[in-house]
Amino acid sequence: MFTSFTVTARWLLLCILCVPVVGGFVGVVFPALGYFPAIGATQFSAQPFATLFATTGIAKMMLLSLFTGLGSTLLAFIGACCLLAWCYQTRFVEKLQALLSPFLVFPHAAAAIALLFVLSPSGFFARLFTTDNDILVTTSAHSFPHDPYGLSVLFALALKELPFILLMALGVMSQPIVAKKISGYSKVGASLGYSSVARFFLLVLPTIFPQIRLPLLAVLVFATSNVEIPLILGPNNPSTLAVAVLHWFNHIDLSMRLLGSAGAVLQVGISSAALGLFVVGERIVVVLGRALLVNGNRRLFDNAVVVTGVSIFAVYMVLIGTIMYSTFAYSVASYWVFPNLLPEDTTWLHWQTVVNAIEKPLSNTLVLGGLVSTSSVLLVLFALESQMLKPTKRVMSFVFSVSVFLPLLVPGVAFLYGLVWLQQLVLQSATWFHTYIAHMVYVVPYVYLSLAVAYRKFDARYIVVAQSLGKSPWQVFVYIKLPLMLGAILIAWALGLAISFSQYLPTLLASGGVIPTVTTEAVASASGSSTRLSAVYVIIQATLPLIGFVLAWTLPRFMFNPKQGVS
Amino acid sequence: MEVLVKTWLTAVAVCFLYTCSASVAAQDTNLVTHSLARKGNSEKQDTETVHFYAWGGSAQVNSYLQWVSEQVSQQYNIRFQHVKLADTSDAVSRVLAEKAAGNHTNGSVDLIWINGENFAAMKEHELLTKNWVSSLRYFPLTNPHENTAMVTDFGESTLGMEAPWGKASLVFYYRQQHLQHLAIPPPQTIHELLDFAQRSPGRFTYPVPSDYLGITFLKYAIIALNEDRQNVFYQPVSESALKSVLPALWQYLDALHPVMWRRGETMLRQASQLQRLMGSGELSIAFSFTAAEIPSAVERFDLPKDIRTYVMHDGSLANVHFVGLTYNSSVKTAAKTVVDFLLSPKAQAQKQKLKVWGDESVLDLSLLSPSDRALFDQEGGHPSALDKSQKVKLIAEPHSSWADAIRNAWYERYGVRY
Repeated sequence: MFTSFTVTARWLLLCILCVPVVGGFVGVVFPALGYFPAIGATQFSAQPFATLFATTGIAKMMLLSLFTGLGSTLLAFIGACCLLAWCYQTRFVEKLQALLSPFLVFPHAAAAIALLFVLSPSGFFARLFTTDNDILVTTSAHSFPHDPYGLSVLFALALKELPFILLMALGVMSQPIVAKKISGYSKVGASLGYSSVARFFLLVLPTIFPQIRLPLLAVLVFATSNVEIPLILGPNNPSTLAVAVLHWFNHIDLSMRLLGSAGAVLQVGISSAALGLFVVGERIVVVLGRALLVNGNRRLFDNAVVVTGVSIFAVYMVLIGTIMYSTFAYSVASYWVFPNLLPEDTTWLHWQTVVNAIEKPLSNTLVLGGLVSTSSVLLVLFALESQMLKPTKRVMSFVFSVSVFLPLLVPGVAFLYGLVWLQQLVLQSATWFHTYIAHMVYVVPYVYLSLAVAYRKFDARYIVVAQSLGKSPWQVFVYIKLPLMLGAILIAWALGLAISFSQYLPTLLASGGVIPTVTTEAVASASGSSTRLSAVYVIIQATLPLIGFVLAWTLPRFMFNPKQGVS
Repeated sequence: MEVLVKTWLTAVAVCFLYTCSASVAAQDTNLVTHSLARKGNSEKQDTETVHFYAWGGSAQVNSYLQWVSEQVSQQYNIRFQHVKLADTSDAVSRVLAEKAAGNHTNGSVDLIWINGENFAAMKEHELLTKNWVSSLRYFPLTNPHENTAMVTDFGESTLGMEAPWGKASLVFYYRQQHLQHLAIPPPQTIHELLDFAQRSPGRFTYPVPSDYLGITFLKYAIIALNEDRQNVFYQPVSESALKSVLPALWQYLDALHPVMWRRGETMLRQASQLQRLMGSGELSIAFSFTAAEIPSAVERFDLPKDIRTYVMHDGSLANVHFVGLTYNSSVKTAAKTVVDFLLSPKAQAQKQKLKVWGDESVLDLSLLSPSDRALFDQEGGHPSALDKSQKVKLIAEPHSSWADAIRNAWYERYGVRY
């Protein structure tokens, strides 16, 4: 009974993830092939693609997308490896995790704006390195942001993705089986005289890599197709492909939507190409790595790796510090001209403006996030349970894990516009439902990632004991698993909440703008003329996810806490 | 201590859950009343919701619309919801998507703030309700017979699809301190502007032509640079007319771009970013379509105190912005009531106040009663505000076909920027 219930949940999960993505993609493929009756295009043709490839700068756009996507993913991955190699066997690693987690839940748009506050030609660092007499800000065509090679975008994306990769890796490394393996290997390596850095790259990384591979590929796709960061920091002559697609879809000339759709399909191609290149690179590393494994060198550029790790950590700390200062200072600043480091005076005007307008967006954000995250957690729990109770064949479980990642592997711009079309076809006035589904598509994969790790960590002996005492699967689930995994469940819930809070494009498109959230307001204000209002929104956006995490960190202390009965 | 923390956290958790559930409940009741109103089953006049899609990037506009919302809720029992857009074309896309899906009666967009090309696009695809403006009570106060700008949007007849809402004209503003430091007086003509840019590179830019202010700058430039051929701009564009006026523009821009902000390699996507860069000090001179947004931005600290506003001697491009009613709105009567309120002397006078928004009224003040006219009396001036006593040479918007022609030619010459 419980088993069939969980199997239903698994199928429901598949539907929620695949129907919108596949349906939405189809809704984009038709216009890409020239079929879009609303604007009088009823003939299938290859014309949109012909126009697309005739667009000036299209090759550069594709290259920029590939370069920023691949470059940032590699940089973030290598950076995460250096950090881990430096401190994976020390207690510092936990502190690192706690310090970098906020970067994970910080929405991309907010992160890009925050970087502008400190790194732009009139930002904090520029102010730091000028004298009082320099009242004119100097800009050049090649500085941060908007540099023609997309390096600003690459850097910002890498900065944002590194903590995610790091936390994924740490999650894998803390699974009991993996942890045991790692410490065993490491001991052997140490006894053979290999340095701790060498042990990490030669023994630990190959062990954990298979498990972080899929999240890494998701990061790669995300980085090639991201819109928020290149929109705020990227060049526009030309821009990355995803930004161009967004502009074609929003173009005043409605026939541009055909071009936009073709561009969206091309974006899928670019993201796939990035995946392909990544896999090829992987093979090469494996082949070269074999030689490295047996050449007998006990040290691997140890100093360089440690210095890199320490500098990355330092960069994060400096950025976090200056961003916090600049953002808070802007949010309360009255007049504040270049190159002063301090505003002339402070005012609550900007906070008041936002507070007066935020009631509705805030309640929408909380309700939507609460609903989406809670139902995602339940659905994912049941789906994971069904895999435990009724394991599927290898092929099916592969199909399942790919479909969990599907929304992360298909660029948002490639299906969201089609999804709106699909949603208009069925149940056109159910805006809340549509927005809920659009959020689920993005929240479920992350909740799944987070909970799957916890499930794998779970000590199966508890279940065996419970079963031997005659407990049914349902009882085992409710009385043994849920209490023991409460912490992990709440963290997944908080993560889901944070992901839902940060959705911009899905919220805007699926709700038609009728459901304003804090993020839609924030992006609208970022397009506006007030730096100070943006700063207020950045702060609100950064603190909102904390609600969930504070609950997740503190609730387990006095719920199902065996120590509580004692004290 | 620990007990305290625990109690506090429980309270927070309970409050959070309570707000969630309360909001859900509120949403539910809204949905119920809404559907009742739509079905017309209920005998009592229920609250209808009018969705007003408008750019949401300005605190002044947003708080004015919030005032409107309170007013129409009190006076007409209408719920007015401002849907804040980053880009107006998002809303146009939305209506189009609804039309594509056959949603002809229950659209999510009711009213939309547009003019120029968004209007031309909506007109072309028949996304707006026709002939509703003349039935508005306050529309005659705009004096549409004498003042054709109220029924013409960039040379296109509005056909009663959109009601005028406000007026705008192109003004320039500069950082006094910067110009003193550079020892250059504020440029008074398009030629002096180039001279300024060449003497202090990197301190001026304009947004790409897909932005309304970007194309406005190009229109101003091309008209000012072709002083002897003004008439051609007020007829639909022709190949030969375009050929005769473009060379002067290209010659000018070829010289300007290399000395612009970031050497013209990166250009701004949106007008609002121009004000941002003025605020941060990266630019020393910029321009705006709404003179009053400058002093009000100074009041809000978004621009520094030494900002001064003026009008170029060789002319200022002027136009009117409008509110359109979509063809598939389900609350047309309520939407018209809202627009009527927007046109009322009370709402127009409020909008014109410098402290509120400063958007110029579309009403012909000579047609108002003395008491209504008194509403428009402004309180004292502002050092950053435009000196209204200055004589201004207004330039009418060219025919709307020119915008497309100039934009396309620009993109062809300088490459596509997104």
